[in-house]
Amino acid sequence: MLETYLPMLFIFVIALTIGAVMFFGGQLIGPKNPTPEKMMPFECGNDSQGTAGVRLNVKFYLTAILFVVFDIEVVFIYPWAALFKSLGWTGFATMLAFIAALLIALAYCWKKGALEWES
Amino acid sequence: MNAGNALFIVGALLCLVGALSTVIARSPIRAAMGLLITIIGIASLFLKLSAQFLAAIQIIVYAGAVVVLFVFVIMLIGADTSAGPPKSGGSVGSRIVAGGGMAVLSGLGLLLLARFDGQPVRFGPAAVGHGDVEAVGGLLFREAIIPFELATALLIVAVIGAIAVARSKARPRPAPPESHESKRLFHGPLHPRDAQRPLSKEPAE
Amino acid sequence: MDAWLSNPFVHGLVYGVVVVTALMTVTAWSIWFERKFAGRMQSRTGPTLVGPYGLLQPLADALKLLQKEDIVPKDADRVLFNVAPPLTVLFALGAAAVVPWGPEQIAADLDVGVLFILAMGGMVVFPVWIAGWASNNKYALLGGMRSVAQGISYEIPLVMAALVPVVLCGSMSVSDIVRFQLEHGWLIYSAPVVGFLAFLLFFLASLAEANRIPFDIPEAESELVAGVTTEYTGMKFGLFYLAEYLHTLVISAVASALFLGGWGGIGGLAPGLHWMVLKTLLLFGAIFWIRWTLLRFRADQLMTLCWKYLVPGGLALVMAAAAWVHWGAFAGTTATPAPAPAEQGAR
Repeated sequence: MLETYLPMLFIFVIALTIGAVMFFGGQLIGPKNPTPEKMMPFECGNDSQGTAGVRLNVKFYLTAILFVVFDIEVVFIYPWAALFKSLGWTGFATMLAFIAALLIALAYCWKKGALEWES
Repeated sequence: MNAGNALFIVGALLCLVGALSTVIARSPIRAAMGLLITIIGIASLFLKLSAQFLAAIQIIVYAGAVVVLFVFVIMLIGADTSAGPPKSGGSVGSRIVAGGGMAVLSGLGLLLLARFDGQPVRFGPAAVGHGDVEAVGGLLFREAIIPFELATALLIVAVIGAIAVARSKARPRPAPPESHESKRLFHGPLHPRDAQRPLSKEPAE
Repeated sequence: MDAWLSNPFVHGLVYGVVVVTALMTVTAWSIWFERKFAGRMQSRTGPTLVGPYGLLQPLADALKLLQKEDIVPKDADRVLFNVAPPLTVLFALGAAAVVPWGPEQIAADLDVGVLFILAMGGMVVFPVWIAGWASNNKYALLGGMRSVAQGISYEIPLVMAALVPVVLCGSMSVSDIVRFQLEHGWLIYSAPVVGFLAFLLFFLASLAEANRIPFDIPEAESELVAGVTTEYTGMKFGLFYLAEYLHTLVISAVASALFLGGWGGIGGLAPGLHWMVLKTLLLFGAIFWIRWTLLRFRADQLMTLCWKYLVPGGLALVMAAAAWVHWGAFAGTTATPAPAPAEQGAR
């Protein structure tokens, strides 16, 4: 049973190995000549201004929480989709109600302007 | 050692390493990445139980969605690679209390597992097909339709709450006074790296 | 010899090596192909100097990248900075494990193959974001944040588009879906309109997840220097580059398995494997064509397109597919269960 995962595991291992070989190969062969200028964060030739630790816009957070909600919802639909042919009419009605409710949530976000990226 | 045990050991190691690095890491981002490793470990434990569906869900929802949310919240507060370790809050006493409480709780958990009679609890083998699509879907859509529909209410409340938090109509803060820095950035020369050697075409000022 | 090959360990190893080698080779030469293709589209000749028709260009590129200095910027998070590039390759290749290349050429025929592909696709955002954050560079961080925002937003239409074949075929196993298509016709036409729209949605959302033009916001070089790869040099940059092309190749294979009938061909002209490879390469080429034809979206246009049009559209498509199953031609049909894996041999 678990043997079915073996080729999958090998693909993972080989992919990681290729990544590691290329990575260490580059480190071995490439020259090492660090200078203070070279180690600075690259900002098109200017001296770096401030740090990278900026506080990000709240819109990223909003996108993430919307994603969590819709992701959970779609994951709920998957077992339904696989079983749909045996669930019949009630299954269709159940999912119609579920999706209608989520469309309402989406419409609410739209109305509140949560879907506008620039504002 | 058969394939199942090997998978279990890999999963358990991933869980432990991830959990430890979540707790120990100084940088919140590294802690979040530790959480990611833990979740992948849990997914491989599900695989070991042949619950492929649960393993995939574990990765999609917890690794793919919840950790992303954590990361974004950390970025909202502001995290920086160059920031040093945070100042340790709390005294030695509070640490001892917290550590001791943790130890007592873990001991209690172990005692419960051992059931006081020295015999460890043995869990029965998982039923065939537990945690696969038919089992989960059958439970959701045949026996638990009403809780399932109520879950939408929970999701809608989550959306409303998030919008309320993110889009609250706070009074706009007064614009910061124009600093020397911004003047230099927008009006003055940009101080290129080799400012000592100006381009010959540049008009001398 | 035969008994030795049917040892699952050896079989798995051989299979893994063959799949990864084939994918890497195709990827390396697809870079040559893309440069040639782009050159021709812009009335240039593309690479010509290294080898006949410039065919050895990928090797020359790799050698050049190997010789470059490896720079880790000051104040970068060294561990995460170095871990990110190999991880991108891992997650980009991971989904290839459940792609059926032929009736028996499947690395792992998971019951939840579709979900596994989506899970791997969802994980790709992490190494990219880690790279952006660990670089300690504003532009890299901004590129990483945009990349995650884009990746997670487009994952929702992607997951919805992948739901349509699951609803139509009643199975989450990729090989079952292909087998269903062999019986009832490719989904792109056998479920009219619905199948075609779902294919378009899947293709579009996959492009966005693989950060291909017109969705390559994470490395919008006109505004973010080079996005997350700004601070990466030499082979580490090469790994990101490779991962992007590998990911594109794998999503082409997934799209052809889910919507274009997989290894099913016309009239048994050639073995199934050839058809699958042909379809994958055609889709792969179409992605290059799109890349050199279209312009990049703006970040806000991208998010608007996703949340206002693709997400509601995807939900509607799922219900349309369910209606098609309920009242349409697929009523009462189920995918034939996979034949019992009688023997495992790398054929």
